[in-house]
Amino acid sequence: MRHVVGLLLVVLAASSVAFPAAARAQNLVVQVATEPPGLDLTATPASATAAVVFYNVQEALVKVDRHGKIVPWLAERWHTADNKNYTFFLKRGVRFHNGRELKATDVKFVIDRAMNPETKHPYPGYYEAIGDIIVKDDYTITFTLKSTTANFLLNMARQGSVMYPREGVETLKSEPIGTGPYKVAEWVRGDRIVLVKNPEYHVKGLPKLDRVTYRFIPDPNAALAALKAGDIDAAMFGIGPEHVPDLQKDGRFQVIIGETTNDVIMSMNNSRKPYTDVRVRRAITHGINKPEVVKGAMFGLGRVLGTNVDPLNPYFVDMSGAMPHDAAKAKKLLAEAGYPNGFETVLKVAPQYYYTVRTGEVIADQLGKIGVKVKIEQIEWGQWLSRVWKDAEYDLTIIGHAEAWDIANYAKPTYYFRYDSAEFQKLFKESEVTVDDKARRELYVRMQKKLVEDAPVVWLYIHPRLAVTKKGLQGLWKDLPLPAFDLSEVAWAK
Amino acid sequence: MRGYIARRAAAFVVTLLVVSLLVFVVVRVLPGDPALVIIGPDGSPEAAARLREAMGLNRPIPVQYAEWLGGALRGDLGKSLQYDVPVGRLIVSRLPVTLPLALMAATLMVVTALPLGLFAARHHRRVGDYLAMVVSQIGIAVPGFWAGLLLILLFSVHLGWVQSGGFAGWSTGLWPGIRSLLLPAVALGLFQAAVLVRATRSSVLDVLREDYVRTARAKGVSELSALGKHTLRNALIPIVTVAGLQLGQLAAGAIILESVFALPGLGRLALGAITARDLPVVQGVTLFVASSIVFINFAVDLLYVVLDPRIRYD
Repeated sequence: MRHVVGLLLVVLAASSVAFPAAARAQNLVVQVATEPPGLDLTATPASATAAVVFYNVQEALVKVDRHGKIVPWLAERWHTADNKNYTFFLKRGVRFHNGRELKATDVKFVIDRAMNPETKHPYPGYYEAIGDIIVKDDYTITFTLKSTTANFLLNMARQGSVMYPREGVETLKSEPIGTGPYKVAEWVRGDRIVLVKNPEYHVKGLPKLDRVTYRFIPDPNAALAALKAGDIDAAMFGIGPEHVPDLQKDGRFQVIIGETTNDVIMSMNNSRKPYTDVRVRRAITHGINKPEVVKGAMFGLGRVLGTNVDPLNPYFVDMSGAMPHDAAKAKKLLAEAGYPNGFETVLKVAPQYYYTVRTGEVIADQLGKIGVKVKIEQIEWGQWLSRVWKDAEYDLTIIGHAEAWDIANYAKPTYYFRYDSAEFQKLFKESEVTVDDKARRELYVRMQKKLVEDAPVVWLYIHPRLAVTKKGLQGLWKDLPLPAFDLSEVAWAK
Repeated sequence: MRGYIARRAAAFVVTLLVVSLLVFVVVRVLPGDPALVIIGPDGSPEAAARLREAMGLNRPIPVQYAEWLGGALRGDLGKSLQYDVPVGRLIVSRLPVTLPLALMAATLMVVTALPLGLFAARHHRRVGDYLAMVVSQIGIAVPGFWAGLLLILLFSVHLGWVQSGGFAGWSTGLWPGIRSLLLPAVALGLFQAAVLVRATRSSVLDVLREDYVRTARAKGVSELSALGKHTLRNALIPIVTVAGLQLGQLAAGAIILESVFALPGLGRLALGAITARDLPVVQGVTLFVASSIVFINFAVDLLYVVLDPRIRYD
């Protein structure tokens, strides 16, 4: 056996690395690990769907740009005098892929449909505040809100608010039509999705690529091999951090490391003993050495977190040092809570997300040092969703939450954290109706402080954006302020 | 013989019914909810509940089964929850990858294992035998997915002879299709061959010890005739049995290798469907694979009659 491996290695070392010169046609082949479960953004919040459709095929009235700022998009501007009535002025000459122009009635149709419980929109809550939608003329539409909603514009920029024509509803799942820079040309189930340039795109000079092929390669090693063999131009979500140092040294590739909104947390079941006791939750938090976790599980890539709000959010406050690693303090807190000898607990992780298992292993070791014996139980993703996420049948679990602006989860006592704080809920409610930026920031700071104090979960780190592409590919977003993969400005250097 | 075929056909139907019922119950008893998988952890549980209702998953299991069975009898295996495409069409669309892959792997398996097994038996307890056994031992020990990765590393990354994965399709011609299946077929077939080599060797060894072989040799027949006509034919029954079982295992191996080589085949369809709790697809694929295996076993049984005319089924 060893001889065979040796022989292979010799052969590999001896063969000079032949790498075909990348053809600089404006075509891009991208690896993605997961095939989208349908392409309908109004039916699934899956990030695999957003990676293909959001911003590339379908767009919304407003857009979150690469810096996380909300900018006009299909609406060239908006106006509000009282933060209750928002009027959007649509950009003229924006055409759907079927050639028809986007009009205000289309906007009304789309948002009405999102609000209709019959359509099974994954986030009906985002549109709850809308009272009335008035079409003033073909290019002017006013939304009247029942109450002031601070996140209204953000909600209109989210992936569930994309515009599509009424006549395209039936094919949203398999062949969505939108106003985006690319059109869906082909979806070979199990193999690839091909997008082609929309020559009628409403932004002049864009897109720059003629053709984008998403290839589904689930195995990370196979993705790496495909990249090295030159069969794919870029790996977007699939190369593990362990390969980064090697790829950074390789002159053929560029490695993009950026921030995301994907906060990796270890949740403690707040409704289950011993985690009902805040002292135990604090002890667990103090028992974890987060920089070591990032080093051990993520090869040092990923920013240490202290609370829920991610660094791309304008209200981010760095609280990573608020509950530092302190084993002695952790032990003292455990003793105060009645567990001087620690306790046994089960950590459930889903190996579908590699980082959860690795992170769990490091944490189990660290918690062992304060007397908490962690038994890691790996469960399949479908089981994780129904047992842990839906029914909260767990002690500890680790997962990344990719959604931007998701602090609302802590205000829901039925969410799988089972965190129930009247004070936090009140603060959150207030933040939702506070429009003044300064006052709202103040509320966000207070919420974050409250979370640190109550320690309902341990905020570990931000899962970094790790993209690897062949050299010469330009225009990719470095950070991902929301789970999108905008390819409109991407091009090969001439 | 006719009575036998009728009995086997009846058993075939009963097997499929039992398999379908088993799969139906198992995938529903397993924790995991297709609606939750589609909605994911960033969606709301309420949305998942609504989707569950809309997908008809809240109805009693016997009702769902009866409805599914009714459809299946009419040739309608239902619609994929994930792709929104009829399951039958999905399965058919994956066959142009999996069938040629299995065929190529099976051919590779047989053409490697038989000569190697014969060679080992012929050189029993000599260098050739030990060498053949070492090679087959390695084949058994190396997991298919790892072998696949090593093959990719060598032939795609460093030599650049074949694509690292993906399927070129048959529309561009026969060769591009075969080329994209070559490495996975080697990983699948050669490593499955390892078991067959051992089966062939031991079976041939048994027969070589028989009196009639000695007699044949004493009569002065050529070594080729002694090995081929007198030995191999008589040794084939256990070999065919093992090969039949191996063919079934190819299906399992394909699930992993299709992932490693990013091939849009039946195995990957099944794996993706299980992860996504795409129940109609899981059922459809399982039923299809079960039918194929029952069919292969049937073919093996019929082959016994051809190989050994003394075998009578009536």
